[in-house]
Amino acid sequence: MKREIPLMIVFVAGLFMAVQFFVPHATSEYIYEFVMEWTIIIGIFALALGIWSFIKVAASKIQRRSENWQYSIVALAGLAGMIIFALPWFGGLESYMFRSFFNNVMIPLHATMFSLLAFFIASAAFRAFRAHSALATVLLLSALIVMLRFNPYMGPLGDIDADIASWILNVPNLAAKRAIIIGIGLGIVATALKVILGIERTYMGKD
Amino acid sequence: MRRITLIVTAVVVVLFIISWIIKTNTVPEDGTFRPFIQGFLVTFAAFLTLAIMSFLYRDNPFYKFAEHLYVGVSAAYAMSLGFWTTLVGNLFPRISQNLSDWFGVPFLHYEWHFVIPPILGIILLMRLSPKGGWISRWALAFIVGTTAGLNLPRFLRSDFIEQISSTFLPLLVQWQGVGPFFSNFSLAASGQFIAILTNITIFLGVLCGLIYFFFSKEHKGVFGTASRFGIWVLMVTFGASFGYTVMGRISLLVGRLTFLLKDWLGIIS
Amino acid sequence: MTAKTILFILVAVLLAPLVMAQEEAVPDSTVGVIPPAPPLNFRAFDTPYDNGHSISLEWELSADDGQGRNNVLGYRVMRAESPDGPFVERGIVTSGGTSYNDSGVKESDSPDYFPRDHDFYYKIVATTADGSEAESEVFGPVRAVGQWFNARKWPVLIAVGLFTAFTLAFITLARRGKDLYVRPLAGIEAVDEAIGRATEMGKPILYVMGLGTAADIATIASFTILSRVAKKVAEYQTSLIVPCYDPIVMTVAQETVKASYYDAGRPDAYDDKDVFFLTNQQFAYVGGVNGIMIRQKPATNFYLGKFYAESLILAETGATTGSIQISGTDEVTQIPFFVVACDYTLIGEELYAASAYLGREPVLLGTLKAQDWGKACVIISIILGVLFAIFGWQDGVDAFRPGN
Repeated sequence: MKREIPLMIVFVAGLFMAVQFFVPHATSEYIYEFVMEWTIIIGIFALALGIWSFIKVAASKIQRRSENWQYSIVALAGLAGMIIFALPWFGGLESYMFRSFFNNVMIPLHATMFSLLAFFIASAAFRAFRAHSALATVLLLSALIVMLRFNPYMGPLGDIDADIASWILNVPNLAAKRAIIIGIGLGIVATALKVILGIERTYMGKD
Repeated sequence: MRRITLIVTAVVVVLFIISWIIKTNTVPEDGTFRPFIQGFLVTFAAFLTLAIMSFLYRDNPFYKFAEHLYVGVSAAYAMSLGFWTTLVGNLFPRISQNLSDWFGVPFLHYEWHFVIPPILGIILLMRLSPKGGWISRWALAFIVGTTAGLNLPRFLRSDFIEQISSTFLPLLVQWQGVGPFFSNFSLAASGQFIAILTNITIFLGVLCGLIYFFFSKEHKGVFGTASRFGIWVLMVTFGASFGYTVMGRISLLVGRLTFLLKDWLGIIS
Repeated sequence: MTAKTILFILVAVLLAPLVMAQEEAVPDSTVGVIPPAPPLNFRAFDTPYDNGHSISLEWELSADDGQGRNNVLGYRVMRAESPDGPFVERGIVTSGGTSYNDSGVKESDSPDYFPRDHDFYYKIVATTADGSEAESEVFGPVRAVGQWFNARKWPVLIAVGLFTAFTLAFITLARRGKDLYVRPLAGIEAVDEAIGRATEMGKPILYVMGLGTAADIATIASFTILSRVAKKVAEYQTSLIVPCYDPIVMTVAQETVKASYYDAGRPDAYDDKDVFFLTNQQFAYVGGVNGIMIRQKPATNFYLGKFYAESLILAETGATTGSIQISGTDEVTQIPFFVVACDYTLIGEELYAASAYLGREPVLLGTLKAQDWGKACVIISIILGVLFAIFGWQDGVDAFRPGN
């Protein structure tokens, strides 16, 4: 029974939502909206599990004095600080401290991590330029043509390059992406079917 | 090594304090502690930026500090936002007058179906109990089942049927007798030659790409040749995507450098 | 009749034309203005295949719209709850337009609420710049009704039915013991080698499931692969690190890994601190995983699931530490970065096929065969569709365009 009931829930819920796609009636729309809202709410409860795991791992590192255990204190302090600043007694989500932490800690860190991509894409390109096979050479050439398409120093060659790059982006690029997307679509549908029919049940673990 | 670390840390602290003082003085006085705090926050943001960038050189205490702070603050941010906005702001006003009053939010009206997600949420939290953990699968099953059911027809339409119908292209474009037969390589070209080449390339590219993804047939003979053409088209695509993204990523770096040079150091206006 | 009366009447008769002339001298705005021709063949009907809160209207152009006197500016859509009114304007259509959808929301407390199962009467009024108008006949009663099946989506229904039939058929065949061939996939064949390498080097294995939720199909595929990897890890007594982005994914991953350790006969070796929640903010997660890679130096990195812009940061950092990297994602935009930066990449559908390759269970191989048949149908459909397009049979082409 411990496995049968969840499998039944998966089947009924899956079938219901699949059928909902074909039913335009307002009742069906309401149910779809409810289910979407429910998933978000359940996700918030699940976040409590995540925070508990985070605290447990950090506390364990501090207790065992593992390598770099001091930084776990920083992580826990950041966690506690942000939760406290969000409390209504300190002004809530609109409080100066909560917004300041968001604007001066999270946003700069997010933007800087994102900007590291510039360096990583350069390092990836340098490694990829050491093409060891015909396929890698094709990839490299295609990347070079597209990268140089807006280069102002190439003169008349630049116009030809821009045309070829434009054709590559609009034609073979479109074709290959379509083939990949069709394959992905089939894979998603197959996996969804396996989940609904109970063939795929790894996510339920063991008794 | 420890001495170098101490010296570097001391230099960083001194620079931090100098920057704090300078930035505090650039914020107009308003009789409160705000300029003081604002100066600290701008300096802190700049130092966190540099700490993350130092990762490119090697792992170091500043990066570790910034990373751990970021992880802790972001986890709490998501939790706080989710709790106060979704649960207190949207859920409690729809299920309980008492809870709404306690949290100081106006009660809307009772909607019975909103009682179900907190029940499922609590069932999920039973995961923490050694004996009651099995019941958490019910909530998992609900989430996984509903999304599988949602995805099945929708992806079949968007990633399958619509992709197929978009590939119904006339391979031999009707000769219109006007405009150049040969023209530039853009998709908007009016030349029939380019239109024919484009349509044939798309047709063959999609077909051979699909053949490459066949799992249950050996890639030999004609099938193998088509598969080989397919992977070549895929490689061209991957190279094009890679090249296309480079400029976008560089612009992210420009954005960050602008913050450092303009907002923090004031070198550029 | 007295003389005074006669005199009064005579004066009135003589003065009357003067008064009337003065009245007529007041400019009459309608003098000389001819109203436009009315719109023709107006009809209103329930919008088909919708949620029941919309009514569609169609008419033919007024004879003075784009022709004739060519003075029609547009059409006002008027609605009332009885044929005699009062009519309220619901919308305006510019000249040349011959249809309109009168719709609203289904929430009854919204100002934009459109009631269902309620009789309405409509008329269309052609308007001109000089203010003259011409009305169509009133049409009604008409009411909006919700439908229980959207017939425009029948191609999707057929596709679902076909695919389900293929899947069930091949699963049945596989269960009967029919041998199903699958071609080799480099990324999958490298999994055992990668785990063995980590064991020899005495270093952990890092398994990153990406930024998806437990409901994302790519993440579900990743769980299946994780269970195989965890079982091998338990058998070889290597350590496994699984930092999670989503708390529900963490819950499922813990269940999966624990079950795999149990299957490998090493339940005591499982530690739920190996499968932990990091954060659910994209770049904070990447920062944390980078830290793990730099400090714990795993020998093998798996990136299997849903990834976005952070994919290159992860793969490049892993490459600098000298790890073997096996990746797989269904995010088309990130596949090129994994192809460039990782040793092996499972492209798109190959990620979903991986579970069948690793387990070799007949049921899973059967669904793989069904996917291939699905692709074969696609190829046939495309060839047919292209032939339709070449020979100009538009109905055949449109048959594959599902409506909304």
